[in-house]
Amino acid sequence: MAGLSGLRTALFFIRIRIGGLSCIGEVKQPAVVMRMPSEKEALLSALVEAIDLHKHYQKGKAEVAALRGVSFAVEAGEFISLVGRSGSGKSTLLNIIGGLDTPSSGELRVGGRNLAAMDRELLARHRRTTVGMIFQSFNLIPSRTALENVALPMIFAGMERPVRSRRAAELLDLVGLDQRHTHKPAELSGGEAQRVAIARALANDPAILLADEPTGNLDSHTAAGILELLARLNQERALTILMVTHDQPSAERLSDRLLHMLDGGIIGEERGGRRA
Amino acid sequence: MKGSDLLQFSLDNLRRTRLRTFLTTLGVIIGIGALVAMVSFGTGMQRNITEAFTANDLFTTIRVLPVRMDIEQVMAGNLDGAMSGMQKRTRALNDTAIALIAAMPEVAVVFPEITFPVKIRFGGQEASTTLRSVPVAMGGYTPYDRMGWGGFFSSDSAAEVILSYGILSRLKLTLDGEEEQARTDSSRVWRRVKADSLIGAEVEVITSVLDLGRMMSGGLAAAGQPSFTEHVTRLRVAGIRPRPHAFSNEQVQGGIVVPLLTGKRMPRFAFNNMWSLLSRGGRPTGSYEALYVRLNRLQDLPAIRKRLQELNFSVFALADQLEEIKRGFLMVDTALGAVGTIALVVAALGIINTMVMSILERTREIGVMKAVGASERQIRTIFFFEAGCIGLMGGMLGVLLGWLVSRLANWIANLWTLRQGGGVGGDIEFFYLPPWLIGGAILFAVGVSLAAGYYPATRAARVNPVEALRHD
Repeated sequence: MAGLSGLRTALFFIRIRIGGLSCIGEVKQPAVVMRMPSEKEALLSALVEAIDLHKHYQKGKAEVAALRGVSFAVEAGEFISLVGRSGSGKSTLLNIIGGLDTPSSGELRVGGRNLAAMDRELLARHRRTTVGMIFQSFNLIPSRTALENVALPMIFAGMERPVRSRRAAELLDLVGLDQRHTHKPAELSGGEAQRVAIARALANDPAILLADEPTGNLDSHTAAGILELLARLNQERALTILMVTHDQPSAERLSDRLLHMLDGGIIGEERGGRRA
Repeated sequence: MKGSDLLQFSLDNLRRTRLRTFLTTLGVIIGIGALVAMVSFGTGMQRNITEAFTANDLFTTIRVLPVRMDIEQVMAGNLDGAMSGMQKRTRALNDTAIALIAAMPEVAVVFPEITFPVKIRFGGQEASTTLRSVPVAMGGYTPYDRMGWGGFFSSDSAAEVILSYGILSRLKLTLDGEEEQARTDSSRVWRRVKADSLIGAEVEVITSVLDLGRMMSGGLAAAGQPSFTEHVTRLRVAGIRPRPHAFSNEQVQGGIVVPLLTGKRMPRFAFNNMWSLLSRGGRPTGSYEALYVRLNRLQDLPAIRKRLQELNFSVFALADQLEEIKRGFLMVDTALGAVGTIALVVAALGIINTMVMSILERTREIGVMKAVGASERQIRTIFFFEAGCIGLMGGMLGVLLGWLVSRLANWIANLWTLRQGGGVGGDIEFFYLPPWLIGGAILFAVGVSLAAGYYPATRAARVNPVEALRHD
């Protein structure tokens, strides 16, 4: 396992962490930059690349700046934790990477594609295929069973019913819910519901899992189980994970890196315990 | 995303709020029901009248009149204008004129109008009616080509008569095998007879003749006394015309028909209509009150009318009025349709309300769907499908409701007509529900529902997922 991650690190040795410098990195490789990179080629550069991201929104009459020039990069296979106080812009950043929100200015490349230039249809496609999201409040559809909730993204992707049912069942088994396929969200515990949400996030085989305080609503024991599942997915499936969390000890233990945010900016970076 | 999945989504959503869906759909059902009942009444009336006209062959017949008249003026109630037109004399309607018109290749039959009131006596009963004279040549044309019982005349001068179905009841006769005449008038003595026994039977036709001598000698003393003498002609029944169409009246279908020459020879004195009254005195001897020109084909009518007018005949064709009648019905249909549409507009507001409510309730769910990759188009389509489902269900059930209402109304209307002693017995179909109305009503319901769903669907598609997921 260690050898595998070592190889991955070697593959991405040219990664540029600070967005401002990534331009120089790209100039050195004009052949890759000149055309739209394919999924595989995109892996050669950073999977997520944010350059001077700003986000303002109107709150009543006042203009609030949620992000003030955020630049960072994430390599494929990394487990990144975003930590910081409430209102520091973590969730906004996650939503923008997830294509649920759009930056006011700046550039955001995910898999080599600039999200800022995408129209709403392309953003939907991005949400459908490139990213999977989980939330503090699970956000399962109450009227649908666990299996149906997991199959939901596949419906929008146009997958045939037998295919998606089979795949949804496999995913539920993967997250350890082989006995809970036909249960509705109300019949599931918090931990189980979050597992369903994780299975759903994986439905269309995304490159990145975006987790917005996934353990915020769970007791510490259940939370540990969820974090362990995320770590396992990161390890076994080489799934890139960006997690917003308040649980700094766990973040330090599980992540490759921790990005500290304050007042809409990244104020510091810390190496996590995973690589140690 | 597949159509079947979309449909499943929409149906699931509708099923989750059953009562609300039912009430919303009920609005559409009532709207479409009203629309269908209204329009089917309009089309029913139109069909009844058009069919009655066609059945009586009123469209291929031209009436040639002795005076020029402006039918528009008469229709508009402007009698002065109409009368002034009548001062202009036209070509005399005599045998020469008949020969002239008969020579035209498009003309099937020409015969003079010889129509006057008579009394008919049979089996001890007497009834007043109208006698019309028709040549044997008309036996091949509607409506004389179809007899209910017996046959047409043997010759133009035969001592024969054809009875209308309507006259039988006036003679208190009920045909065996026909429906019982459900009359409330119990004072009448009804006689049930076999139709075949009437064929060949002798009836007495009584005409009145003005007794000029008696009028002169009686002077003032005889004032108030009828100065008429009765003249009896005995004729054999050649045939009985079939039970008429519901919307026919006595003038068209009733009365008795005799061969042309038989009628011509019968002694009479009568003002049977406005034309004979107006033209009496000025009319040259040997001329007729009017001529009937029966064409082979309806499409020849404009050409023949033009030619007759060039020959200085005055022409009246009911077919001219057909367009006018059709326009009238179009207006009636539109008015009836508009009333139904108002009901549907109310239903559409109900749909908008229901769907906006449902979007408010499902904001979070829409946010989730967007978060997992639903595009705006997919969200919009789901809501469109929901509106479409309400429209389709409402449309289909609405047509059913409209049909049920029309059946009920028809039953009541028939009961009422029967009570009034009107009609000819038997059921009149006041409503007509043609396939285009069924299809059109359902399409209309779906269309209106989709239009109503447009705003909510667009609103759903535009839900901001970030805000929606924060939504509680």
